[in-house]
Amino acid sequence: MEMLPEDCICTILSFTSPLQTSKSSLVSTTFRSASESDVVWDRFLPPDYQDLLLRLVKTLKFSTKKELFFLLCNWVLIDGGRKSFKIDKYSGKKSYLLSARELFIAWNSDPMYWIWKHISQSRLEEVIELISSSWIEIHGKIKTPMLSKNTTYVAYLKMRISNRAYGLNMTPFEVSVEVGKQASHGTVCLCGHDKEKQQTVRMEMLREREDGWMEVELGEFFNGENDEEVKMSFTETKDYHLKAGLVIGGIELRPKL
Amino acid sequence: MIKHMIEDNCADNGIPLPNVTSKILSKVIEYCKKHVETPKLDERATFVDDELKAWDADFVKVDQATLFDLILAANYLNIKSLLDLTCQTVADMIKGKTPKEIRKTFNIKNDFTLEEEDEVCRENQWAFE
Repeated sequence: MEMLPEDCICTILSFTSPLQTSKSSLVSTTFRSASESDVVWDRFLPPDYQDLLLRLVKTLKFSTKKELFFLLCNWVLIDGGRKSFKIDKYSGKKSYLLSARELFIAWNSDPMYWIWKHISQSRLEEVIELISSSWIEIHGKIKTPMLSKNTTYVAYLKMRISNRAYGLNMTPFEVSVEVGKQASHGTVCLCGHDKEKQQTVRMEMLREREDGWMEVELGEFFNGENDEEVKMSFTETKDYHLKAGLVIGGIELRPKL
Repeated sequence: MIKHMIEDNCADNGIPLPNVTSKILSKVIEYCKKHVETPKLDERATFVDDELKAWDADFVKVDQATLFDLILAANYLNIKSLLDLTCQTVADMIKGKTPKEIRKTFNIKNDFTLEEEDEVCRENQWAFE
């Protein structure tokens, strides 16, 4: 194998994975050089990465494609802050976060029902908190060509429950994910500390995220190679009880492990 | 490209191929003939596709030395599909192996100095955690 020219080693490595390529850099000096090459990391970057770079809110500085790959392994804002994406460093597959601004939230512009808040210095990063309403209707959409092909994705509602919350654990919420002929429907109960009963109800539906927020699964789907639109929903429109204190951070789509 | 190779590649023309032995060349020709005879990707039925894939899988069931010679030949003769097939085969052999195992499988010498090894480990720390 030692007689193979470096560009053949590059081709071989480009058929492996980011993890395998990084590991293989330790094999020999030729492997090291090949594993740094733009030819290899160009294949690991998402096919539409150049288009995504044009949509970045903040430009990234990089001198090699390998550098770019690892920069994109952290969330970056695109489309004026309405969305963020990142790459999984092991597989190169994309995750997206649709911000609260990007979602359809019924009554979101009426401060009697919902209020917008900034979560950081950035003018762009906003979340929305439920002040009071009986009707919760949240929808998110994304076109499938934006996602990594031939991948199963899971959609999550990124949310928190504020101290002012009430009424959230009275009725189950309806969740669904629909794309093309695929549809998944379900119900979830949100955890709430029931002040009357002084007990915590139904914890298992809410999971804690790495970033300190909570999330609830909306459903999953397989993204093939078609050009379709995924519609994700989180609703409670049957119960007349008022609800409050639901803070929405967005909807995240990430590849199923 | 492949069609021209078949048409031109006979003793009469005498194209010199110093990097390719006759044994390897005959295998390359076998590959090209098979792929030339098969209809294009869009036009072929699934079962033809499956049959071709099975044929390709058999084609690369050779010893390491032959496999590397095929890579070199495909690279030199610029036959992309053969290069992809042979490189994918080697990639599959590498997958999941540690650097030590890769060196052992392919009989590669570790030509790093200790300092260089440390440097590479640090640069790619996440891969070794």
